[in-house]
Amino acid sequence: MAILALKSRPTEITPDADKSGAIELVRYVCAIGAMQTAAAIPRVVPITHCGPGCADKQYVNLTFYNGFQGSGYGGGPVVPSTNASQREVIFGGADRLRELIESSQLVLDADLFVVLTGCIPDLVGDDVGSVVRDFQKRGVPIVYAETGGFRGNNFTGHEAVTHAIIEQYLGPWDGVRERGTVNLWSLLPYQNTFWRGDLEEIKRLLEGIGLNVNVLFGPDSEGLSEWRNIPRAQFNLVLSPWLGLSTAELLARRYEQPYLHIPVVPIGARESGAFLRKVASFAGISVDVVEAFIAKEEKRYYNYIDGFTDFYSEYWWGLPARFAVIGDSAYNLALTKFLVTQLGLIPAKQIVTEDPPVEHREAIQAEFRAIDDDVSVDVEFVEDSYTIHQALRNADFGHKPPIIFGTTWERDLVKEMKGSLIEVGFPASYEVVLSRSYVGYRGALSLLERIYTTVVSHSA
Amino acid sequence: MVLNLKTSSVETREQRLGTIIGWDGTASKLADESAFSRGDCSGCGTKARRVCELEGPFTQGSVCSEQMVECQAGNIRDAVLIQHSPIGCGAGQVIYNSIYRNGLAMRGLPVQNIRFISTNLRERDMVYGGAEKLAEAIRLAVERHQPKAVFIATSCASGIIGDDIESVARTAESEFGIPIIPLHCEGFKSKHWSTGFDATQHGILRQIVRRNPEKRQDDLINVINLWGTDVFSPMLGELGLRVNYVVDMATVEELAQMSEARATVSFCYTLGTYLATALEQEFGVEQIKAPQPYGFAGTDAWLRELARVTGRGAQAEDYIAREHARVKPLLDELRPKLKGLKGYVATGSAYSHGLIGVLREIGVEVDGSLVFHHDPVYDSEDPRQDSLGHLIENYGDVRHFTVGNRQQYQFYNLLQRVKPDFIIIRHNGLAPLAARLGIPAIPLGDEHHALGYQGMVNLGESILAALQHRKFHKDIAKRVSLPYKQSWLAQKDPFALARAAS
Ligand code: SF4
Repeated sequence: MAILALKSRPTEITPDADKSGAIELVRYVCAIGAMQTAAAIPRVVPITHCGPGCADKQYVNLTFYNGFQGSGYGGGPVVPSTNASQREVIFGGADRLRELIESSQLVLDADLFVVLTGCIPDLVGDDVGSVVRDFQKRGVPIVYAETGGFRGNNFTGHEAVTHAIIEQYLGPWDGVRERGTVNLWSLLPYQNTFWRGDLEEIKRLLEGIGLNVNVLFGPDSEGLSEWRNIPRAQFNLVLSPWLGLSTAELLARRYEQPYLHIPVVPIGARESGAFLRKVASFAGISVDVVEAFIAKEEKRYYNYIDGFTDFYSEYWWGLPARFAVIGDSAYNLALTKFLVTQLGLIPAKQIVTEDPPVEHREAIQAEFRAIDDDVSVDVEFVEDSYTIHQALRNADFGHKPPIIFGTTWERDLVKEMKGSLIEVGFPASYEVVLSRSYVGYRGALSLLERIYTTVVSHSA
Repeated sequence: MVLNLKTSSVETREQRLGTIIGWDGTASKLADESAFSRGDCSGCGTKARRVCELEGPFTQGSVCSEQMVECQAGNIRDAVLIQHSPIGCGAGQVIYNSIYRNGLAMRGLPVQNIRFISTNLRERDMVYGGAEKLAEAIRLAVERHQPKAVFIATSCASGIIGDDIESVARTAESEFGIPIIPLHCEGFKSKHWSTGFDATQHGILRQIVRRNPEKRQDDLINVINLWGTDVFSPMLGELGLRVNYVVDMATVEELAQMSEARATVSFCYTLGTYLATALEQEFGVEQIKAPQPYGFAGTDAWLRELARVTGRGAQAEDYIAREHARVKPLLDELRPKLKGLKGYVATGSAYSHGLIGVLREIGVEVDGSLVFHHDPVYDSEDPRQDSLGHLIENYGDVRHFTVGNRQQYQFYNLLQRVKPDFIIIRHNGLAPLAARLGIPAIPLGDEHHALGYQGMVNLGESILAALQHRKFHKDIAKRVSLPYKQSWLAQKDPFALARAAS
């Protein structure tokens, strides 16, 4: 069976194909995993055109065995799939997709359908665009993104989906900008185990300084009405090392909408304050408003930190001094920053695992180098867990047991190293996560609780 | 039917057994239409009988054969599984790691991560082929883990681009001196995931099982299972028999010695049909042809057949009598508490046949079941294995018996039709819907939970525990909105779309 012509990539952000090697124990999924990006928008339902197992593989692992988050209104087992068979491989699957979209409208109650393709249609060359355009012409709210597994991972798939909605669902716009409204592009839904609670906290912070936030994903989003309002917002806020940048750039081209890029997701008072001041200055919010909010938050925050000080200064049985973070660049950077600057821990090994596009790596590297006035970190980019574990074994953790911020994959290794493990990313199969957050003022306190409960439980 | 172990790909279930994934009616009608004792098998030739299948335009994501390869070949303790695919197929490493670790813990084995390597195929590989990446991944597997065998799972992508996996595997096998076993499990090749069980077992039979065993282990019984607790050892120990658990959590040596065993049994004919039949065909290891070991009738018959084949009649009768005497009073205590309850079983095919029997033994009413596929016949073609027929003969008909490959949208209508007090479930995606309708589920992660005499007691106790959960479910049921159209929720016939299309 020969293959047909390949179509071009869905977005420009593509990892360097030639250097990719084998991966033992995965830390991300394939581009069609972005079905859960669509499902993260209230009342949006993805439709997958792929083999019978593709949708299940992505959702079960992203949403269930990763914090047991639940898969959302239109995600997980709800998602229609062509379950492509031999017939669609040999004769093409466009007709089958048409039939599925047609019948999805009879069964599912959705505000928007997002068609995502898997390896099969992308390899046999189904013209998915023309199938979907026919429905669009008939007024069906539907868009499509090409997300075949070989094209990229769920990060690039996520951008393909946001691009698809913006380009195919949002119309032209030339109204007046709404001052004080911001679109938030931040953590990757579901991949980041704590995204719901985190987005809620970030939104709370931004609202605290008087902004109106289109959070776009998760329980706090208004759904599609928010998406339709994207062009009106005063600006886009990209709060992550690189994810969301290409979307902000698209919006800049399309609507001449400005954006602010802050790579460090804030954890703790120091970073949250810096974050709010940056946003306020970009948005033209008065200093008084911002400082008043920060003061109020800090009062509460430091009250608790004050209590924690007794423990931190006086716990007899030793606390870890050195730590490693293994995870996506967003959380890795955010955690490292907090642990170094707030707690004074020593970074021993930081490995970024989501395969960020090559063009962003230099900037990520630079952020880590400038982690604090007196501390600089050399970050590595590795995806293969065997290599990662070897690197951890060889890292210098001094004579105390290390604390490792990682995933379920590090369980055995941390036992071997007699350290502590905090599962902070995909896959986190030993965490049950509802609204817990590790960012902002409130999240930082939960994080401290989690870290030191784990540490003191050592002798339990 | 002769199983063909000469070719490297297994024949799919639909080719071998006439497997279907869409059907609705009474259990007795399905049994009649199937090829076993009840059906008229004339005219099927050497292949299984075709049951008329319902096929509709709307389908939700199912499960594929490659995932079943992951959950079997990937859980062999001293082997490595290579997934020759783009990274997305490797997502399953997460769930099968969780299952593996829990399974190891249940069996008292050291808990450790699974060993899966994805070749991580990218766009470039779609054009130039992925053979080199596969060869490299095999080398890594050997260097990193010194495995006793390496399995290779194919994928939709590798199948379409036509990588020559066989020759890569052969070359590596001669270089490394261990079995390197391609398992052909492209998701699009079979409509039902259970073909993936067969693909794994086919590869094990071809390349791991000792072809010319020098000895027989006359007291060794192959038990085809997953990761369940060890209930077979004490049970078979009563007959002076030893257990060889395969495929999950076995070692390569335990797989190799399957040809030396006295007989083969399994907890579920859906899982075990291919391997057990092939072991008999190739090595003369007898497959126990009896009902599955569920409820009194099934367990009695199963034990007696095992005893007949292994020449242990007296021990078996003694054990059966003791177990009846032990379990009956326990069930007498349970039955009044379970009286008036209605259960619904949504599991793999043959497994459901067993569970319904258990529910009826303990006095729970069952008038509906969903099985994820149906095999009109198993590979042995022996009517003594007709698990559906056994259910109907011993425990009566099931009014709403449905075949569907885990379609959540239909599950709503199915539950409305039956209105059960609880459901018993394996596989993800259905219990959450039931929960939102106020119906608690008993998820059977441990597949041995309801097996044998003690299984009836276990299941009864689990039902009582699950019923307490109703408080939670009734509360949430008032507050959720389902993603389905009112018009669909009002639909009485779960197969309305399929019937309109045909
Ligand atoms: S890699 Fe391809 S075949 Fe595998 S799950 Fe992703 S889309 Fe499906």
